[in-house]
Amino acid sequence: MSRAIQIRVSESVVRTVHVEDGVQSPLEMLPILAPDRMGELLAKELEDQGFTRDGDKATREDADGVIIEVDLKTATVTARIAAEKKLEESIDRRTSVGVERQEQAEKNLRDDVIRELDDRLSARTEALRKEITGKLEKKLGDLKKELDGAVGRATVAALTERAQSLGNIQSVVEDEAGNVTIKVKL
Amino acid sequence: MDDDVLELDDDQIEEVSPLPQVAPSEADILMMARALVAGPASNDDIWSLLCASRQVPAKIGTTSERLLGDILAMSWRALWRRGGTKPQPSHLDGQRGRLWERYEPTDLKFSAQSLQFLRWLVTTPFSAPASTLKGLGAAKLELGDQLLVYFALDAARATPALRVIANQPFVHNAPLAWLGFAQYMAGGNVPAFDSLTIGAGPIVVEALTDEVARRWQAGEISKRSMTDPTELITFGAAQDAVLDGFLDACDRRNRRDLAGFVLDAVQPLLDRNIMPSPGQLDPAAPLSVRASARTSAGSLLRALVRWSDWDQQHRGVRFIDDNYQAVQVLLGRFEKIGSAGVGRVQGWLYELSGLVVAPGPTSD
Repeated sequence: MSRAIQIRVSESVVRTVHVEDGVQSPLEMLPILAPDRMGELLAKELEDQGFTRDGDKATREDADGVIIEVDLKTATVTARIAAEKKLEESIDRRTSVGVERQEQAEKNLRDDVIRELDDRLSARTEALRKEITGKLEKKLGDLKKELDGAVGRATVAALTERAQSLGNIQSVVEDEAGNVTIKVKL
Repeated sequence: MDDDVLELDDDQIEEVSPLPQVAPSEADILMMARALVAGPASNDDIWSLLCASRQVPAKIGTTSERLLGDILAMSWRALWRRGGTKPQPSHLDGQRGRLWERYEPTDLKFSAQSLQFLRWLVTTPFSAPASTLKGLGAAKLELGDQLLVYFALDAARATPALRVIANQPFVHNAPLAWLGFAQYMAGGNVPAFDSLTIGAGPIVVEALTDEVARRWQAGEISKRSMTDPTELITFGAAQDAVLDGFLDACDRRNRRDLAGFVLDAVQPLLDRNIMPSPGQLDPAAPLSVRASARTSAGSLLRALVRWSDWDQQHRGVRFIDDNYQAVQVLLGRFEKIGSAGVGRVQGWLYELSGLVVAPGPTSD
């Protein structure tokens, strides 16, 4: 009859994980003026919204960590969010086995513990990723409205410039639906 | 009674040739070939045939070879039944006619690979778990072989065997199979489509245009109920690769008319205002993956935009240009979509790539 012994395995892990998510979308810019000029007008509107211009890019980082980058040349917007977190996990596990199986049992127990640690870290990483995805998703509706507004104002500015090149502008009237009427005397 | 008996001379008696005799395993191969070629007109239960498994010898006898040749020769007839009889304008001069009136008689070549494929279908018990089934390796296929593969996929369309057949490297080498069943063949390398634009290829494609269009249209509608973004991305990538490859091949050979199934597939979606947008993608998936899936859903719409670019080029062809007559056929083909249809498709594409990844397919 073999003697029973107790095996105890204790493992811990500290890992820094980085998660990110983001989306890219085109902006509906009408080709009223040359692309460069349209980009300029859009940049001006975006600067009024707190964007910082650097060459062909206008960028803003919001308090919730969402970074919005507008490519003025290609008229595309990228909204992205990232997070980094230090995750710590530890497991302490014991089991009783016959003394003749000690070595194998200890190896199996350690493998199980390491696998479980990996699973726990993966689950926490995924939870963190879902958290930032949720933040970004919540933001997109408002961001779309904000950018549509900026694009709309840039379009009106472009139309006004175009009208000026045709003659003297008599009046610019915008109704509640956002329709703009520009009267020009040729 | 004896007065009624007529005596016949020897030359009046027609000799009846005995029924050809083949081995049971060969009979199974012939029955499978007959069921595939007959297609929707077949009386055979295709699922029963696919579930049965029989060992077949490495070679077939000369009688079976002759009978198999006879069955495969019915492929032209099968194509006429599937859509070749409809009078259509010729791609050269717009003259209307049935397929055989518009093209010179052309050989439809089958190779020994057709027999290999039939043997695999007969020996494989498709009711068993897919992981236990022996695969069929890649091979160089003639157009006839491709057509047999297409017929097999079509025959198996309502059975679990469809995905098993579509996943074989052998089947991945058949451009015609990709054209008809891209959504089931995701994951493989898309071959070149030139074989479908030369020789007998255009005749086969024209005969199958209506059913290929119906299948693509059904694929677009199925996107609306897809929830797994990864699956949609794979689906869209396969469609993009097939459409890019096939439209390029058509363009190279001046056979843009062969890509008419794109218009036929999109037209009913426009008529009923059905946007191929996924309804509710898994909300647990990253936003980047969901956005990518929505963009992928626009494969067929992007092909229509390419058709629209072609249409602009066609409008620039003058009466004195050599290809004026041919271009009139293409202009007529695109007329039903028109600039209003292109505008709506571009709006759908914009919506699919829009910032807000939320449910909201539109339909009347």
